[in-house]
Amino acid sequence: MSREALQESLSAVMDNEADELELRRVLNAFDDVETRETWARYQIARAVMHKDLLLPRLDIAAAVSAALAEEAVPAKASRGPWRSLGRLAVAASVTVAVLAGVRLYNQDEIAGVELAQQSTQPGLAVPQVKGPAVLAGYSESSEATGPMANGVLQGQPGWHDQRLPGYLRQHAQQAALKGTESALPYARAASLENR
Amino acid sequence: MRAIPLLTLLLGGWFVVPAHADEAQDWLTRLGQAEQQQSFHGTFVYERNGSFSTHNIWHRVQDGKVRERLLQLDGSAQEVVRIDGHTQCVSGTLIAGLGDSPNSAARVLDPQKLKNWYDLAVIGKSRVAGRAAVIVSLTPRDQHRYGFELHLDKETGLPLKSLLLNDKGQLLERFQFTQLDTSRAPSDSDLQPGADCKAVALDSNKATAVKTAQTWHSDWLPAGFELTSSSSRKDPGTKTQINSLMYDDGLARFSVFLEPLNGAAVTDTRTQLGPTVAVSRRLTTPQGEMMVTVVGEIPAGTAERIALSMRTDATATQ
Repeated sequence: MSREALQESLSAVMDNEADELELRRVLNAFDDVETRETWARYQIARAVMHKDLLLPRLDIAAAVSAALAEEAVPAKASRGPWRSLGRLAVAASVTVAVLAGVRLYNQDEIAGVELAQQSTQPGLAVPQVKGPAVLAGYSESSEATGPMANGVLQGQPGWHDQRLPGYLRQHAQQAALKGTESALPYARAASLENR
Repeated sequence: MRAIPLLTLLLGGWFVVPAHADEAQDWLTRLGQAEQQQSFHGTFVYERNGSFSTHNIWHRVQDGKVRERLLQLDGSAQEVVRIDGHTQCVSGTLIAGLGDSPNSAARVLDPQKLKNWYDLAVIGKSRVAGRAAVIVSLTPRDQHRYGFELHLDKETGLPLKSLLLNDKGQLLERFQFTQLDTSRAPSDSDLQPGADCKAVALDSNKATAVKTAQTWHSDWLPAGFELTSSSSRKDPGTKTQINSLMYDDGLARFSVFLEPLNGAAVTDTRTQLGPTVAVSRRLTTPQGEMMVTVVGEIPAGTAERIALSMRTDATATQ
């Protein structure tokens, strides 16, 4: 297999545009250290293009190997039509593993940008690529400004301070009148009065 | 290649959904009937961010008439008494005057219609207020409404618990009975309003309400939302005429308020109060600057889009 073809396939996988053939090519070559280094370089190049330098240590080879190890036994053991189904299952799980890997990486990228914007700590400029840890931090930060955050008027007070309570009250009470679930809109209306 | 995992997911989904969907529909039908047929009294809690309150409810169905009294047990004694969905009296700061707008009859829960906008499913069993319950989930099919998780009483179909969830699965509000008695109907004295419950004056302003409906419309509405009422009232404090329109999809509701600015310099705002969002946007009309405020239990982005889509019919015909 030519080096160029492999590199093209790698790039296609990275851009989430690989077809089955390319995916197989990359997966076959992934035992090769050089291929993995190329993958890492591509990710860095991509990160730089996005003005967001991370060091990717995402090793999808491990995830793929694990998926294959789990699926290989039923695929070999079965014969006839089941065998091809088994193969499909292997192919499916490999695809999921790779796509999940790429997806995970993309999410890290987003989280990385946000972290970099929110903080001046140099340590955060190079976050480790660890999905769950970063994702947890991400959802936490969105919670702070999320829907459970208390009702705070953004913008100019005054005009709205006068109107909004009345609007909220009228909406809640009209909803209570229409309500099929009668007690719930009433409770919403009452809770507005407890502030 | 990428189609393969999708296919397995689809196939997997096939086997699970249909049986539960029908069951869920039956439960919602029962829920719709329960409040018209079942007498009960009980205590429930309501929780949203920054607010937790406890309430008593007495609900009596007798000779085809539904009488209901709700009383807040902590803090101020908020109270409402309703007969057949018509408010008889309210206490404290609950607004009077919008008591009976022309088409204010309560709408019946219609699972057939809800099915178009929500995925209905029975997702399990639970126990609420010491009673066995069935969990029915209503998952929105688009991003323009929130999801519900209803815990319905196995015996009567009454809602014992109701959770409102956003697209990330975060809890926006909780309504939950702590105690419920369906064995005996509340007595007359239970349903008697307290001294602070002020009688509601009937709103006879039908003509204005109809006019409002014709003057304003929205260029864009999330699928399934329909205009259910409109009204026009003079704010006693500011002496301005405020038009209001209410829309619902059979479950979720939002109101649109339109008020002339009369030259006031006001900025656009966005407020979130538990499940309820309020988004204000300025709108320039031939009649001058208006402030459009959308208030409802819908995602903020949707409310914003609605606010930006309000038009007077005058501008629409130009």
